Amino acid sequence: MNGIPVLTIQDVAMLDGALGDFLKKAEADLTVVIDRGGNVISQFGDRDVTDVTIIAALAAGSFAATRELARRIGEVEFNALFHQGNGSHMFMNSVDEDTIMITVFGTRTTVGLVRFYSAAAAQSVAGIMQKLQRGGHGLEFTAADIEAAPIFVDPQAPAPAPAPAPAG
Amino acid sequence: MSIINYASREIQFKIVYYGPALCGKTTNLSYIHQRINPQNRGDLVSLATAADRTLFFDFLPLNAVVIKGFVTKFQLYTVPGQVIYNATRQLVLRSADGIVFVADSQWEKMEENVESFKNLEENLAKQNIAFDEVPCVLQYNKRDLPNIAPVNYMEYVMNNRKKRLQSFEVVSSSGQNVFAALNAVSQVLLHKFSKQNEVPDTVAAPIAIPVEPSAPQKGVQV
Repeated sequence: MNGIPVLTIQDVAMLDGALGDFLKKAEADLTVVIDRGGNVISQFGDRDVTDVTIIAALAAGSFAATRELARRIGEVEFNALFHQGNGSHMFMNSVDEDTIMITVFGTRTTVGLVRFYSAAAAQSVAGIMQKLQRGGHGLEFTAADIEAAPIFVDPQAPAPAPAPAPAG
Repeated sequence: MSIINYASREIQFKIVYYGPALCGKTTNLSYIHQRINPQNRGDLVSLATAADRTLFFDFLPLNAVVIKGFVTKFQLYTVPGQVIYNATRQLVLRSADGIVFVADSQWEKMEENVESFKNLEENLAKQNIAFDEVPCVLQYNKRDLPNIAPVNYMEYVMNNRKKRLQSFEVVSSSGQNVFAALNAVSQVLLHKFSKQNEVPDTVAAPIAIPVEPSAPQKGVQV
């Protein structure tokens, strides 16, 4: 199948439900579900962060980098990582082989509470992701749906050289 | 893993710039970051050493509308080129939807180009991905330097395969063909996922694919 896996509106609603419930119980600010390649799958919360895609890319890298560290002490990987700041903290936990959950929280809650509720949230998310993969309902578009013009344009690119005049 | 989110009507693709050390991967991303409309891009994130060598990766998110009704997010990554960072290259390569291989055109870098390309194929194989399955274009970078191999020699060394890749003569420091290569890999990967599964003729033709390697001309006098 050439189609790309699709999160339907129903899938997103289920994910939002699970993530919203988790945020409420854990009193955290923002949670982002990403794949291990760094793509954002879903996010929930109202924390003002500069760019979630950058957080996803860096978190996926951080999670992957510590895998080798875990192997040195006989673990396959660390299931969870905690980055402690002065007022804002980040907790990351593994959902399944392809998915990671990131939670950003502040001083209203504790890492223990976030960790406790994240386990159940990860199970819910894993169930939705499994269903998504089993369903395999990919979007298929045709070449006619793709913009033919150059996708990215360099506004200051030098103009192409004029075509040579026809002989004769 | 590309994914389409119907609620936010977004599609995400990951494009990785791969190549030997100091071939110009980071310069590619820097140029794109400088020139593209700020509304269509995020920040350029570089995880580099004190000497500005890429330690983990560079990352640049771009937005575009290329499929009707969807915002397409292209996430551009570079890998660290230095040989010792192979584990990091494997991590960054994970879930890549497209690859831009940046080769250094200087004669003395040819062996490193070939080694890096072989390393790319090996790292894809470790993820059970055949090289032919991944949309890829070639950049022959640093075409402004004096000690460079002719394009047909580069083609012979880097692109000598049954199904040739699109290749581009690039000067990443001045931006020559940087966007052309990015557009080409984007189109190839989008058409890979389309129903027809083939790239139409409207996609820019490769700039430098000679019919056959020509011998260098040496001081012919009449």
